[in-house]
Amino acid sequence: MIRKKVPMVVRSIVVLMGVFGWLSQMQVLGNSKDNKTPYPSMAALERYLMPRDAEIALARSAAPAAISRDATVLVLGRKGYEMAVKGKNDFVCVVERSWESDFDSPEFWNPKIRGAVCYNPPAARSVFPARAKRQEMILAGLSKTQVFDGIKAAFDRKELPTPEPGSMCYMMSKEAYLTDRGSHDLAHLMFEVPRIDDAAWGANLPNSPVMGGAQAPEPFSEFIVPVGKWSDGTAVPTN
Amino acid sequence: MNQKIVNAIALGIFALVIALCPLCPARAQESGPAYERMVPIDQYLMADRNAEIALARNAAPESISRDAEVLLLGRHGYETAVKGKNGFVCVVERSWMAPFDDPEFLNPDQRLPLCLNPPAARTHLPLTFKMTDLALAGLSKTQMFNGIKAAFDKKELPVPEPGSMCYMMSKQQYFGRKYGNADPHLMFWFPKTDDMLWGAGLPGSPVYVHQYSPEPITEFIISVSKWSDGTPAPAD
Repeated sequence: MIRKKVPMVVRSIVVLMGVFGWLSQMQVLGNSKDNKTPYPSMAALERYLMPRDAEIALARSAAPAAISRDATVLVLGRKGYEMAVKGKNDFVCVVERSWESDFDSPEFWNPKIRGAVCYNPPAARSVFPARAKRQEMILAGLSKTQVFDGIKAAFDRKELPTPEPGSMCYMMSKEAYLTDRGSHDLAHLMFEVPRIDDAAWGANLPNSPVMGGAQAPEPFSEFIVPVGKWSDGTAVPTN
Repeated sequence: MNQKIVNAIALGIFALVIALCPLCPARAQESGPAYERMVPIDQYLMADRNAEIALARNAAPESISRDAEVLLLGRHGYETAVKGKNGFVCVVERSWMAPFDDPEFLNPDQRLPLCLNPPAARTHLPLTFKMTDLALAGLSKTQMFNGIKAAFDKKELPVPEPGSMCYMMSKQQYFGRKYGNADPHLMFWFPKTDDMLWGAGLPGSPVYVHQYSPEPITEFIISVSKWSDGTPAPAD
């Protein structure tokens, strides 16, 4: 079974990053414990915020320094992302919070989540705007349903772009916190494309190193490939 | 991950060899003289049809390759050996798919099994077929180079579709004398673009790059931790 072959933390992370297809698979496999969320609603905003310098460092740790030292860095403010460092290589590094996860994720409101990510230039232009839009709506106090509908409507009206060819991002921070499960973290790359069948990349099949798939309501597919080292060059422990 | 090997791939040894070279393990860390011309075609062929099918399928996990189309190299080019049903195509490429300036170019021992996803099957295989035709016609390296350049200039060959990628996870792949069977990896193809698009080739980056020439194609390479059969690949 696929479930046995993929570490729990990996599956949680895929769900966290909003891959509906994979979530569906998990539900088919069954995991009733997951359905009882300890995070039924948004916590106080302060619990999602972090000191500015620490957030800049964490955001940059998503990618090797050779990439992130010249990247733009955004930090979370009370109303959305704020520019902290203007970059010069067109990569954008941020620390995403739990509401960037799948809408059905039991950790959607988990205030501990810190998803450090560096978007490459095409993804910064065409994937990040949907993430930022979601965050803006959450911070404006909209409900989960309103946010879902709002994002869907924005795509329907073509106010948000779909992924440009070559969109991808780095998530290689050793300090990230992606889920309550397991080791909480996973060094990986993510690749975003306009929504396609998971099978087009051979994702989620036994022994395939590719995981992920279709998101919702964003018309994206996002594929994940784990890598063997953290952004600082140290090896990721096996299993 | 074996970073040295992957770096080597990034430098240009992008294809694949099979460890059908059990007789020559001592050669694995050495490069030898370049092959200026094709050797007799029989040296590039695999006598055992079933072995070539198995090798091609071995490029990806069985869950992908069992339903893939499989192509075999014959005396006049690639032929369909097995019809597929998932849109993937598995094939054992030969050394004429290596970079023109690679000393392994035209090495008859090289075996490069890969399974291409549907977009790559549509847009990479035409290049494989064209190169194979030129090689089997006995053209010189220069003639092959010019032939491929002209085909792209005249738009007879396509550039990679978005989402084009392939699996190269066979434990039996053989890249040649210097790199042996390298390590398992995925490859992603794009119309020629800058290395920095994916942050490739920078210190600490897990992404390696090969800029084709004369093809207007960029290939990004990412190592994975296991062979197609699920066994772990050697770490650094």
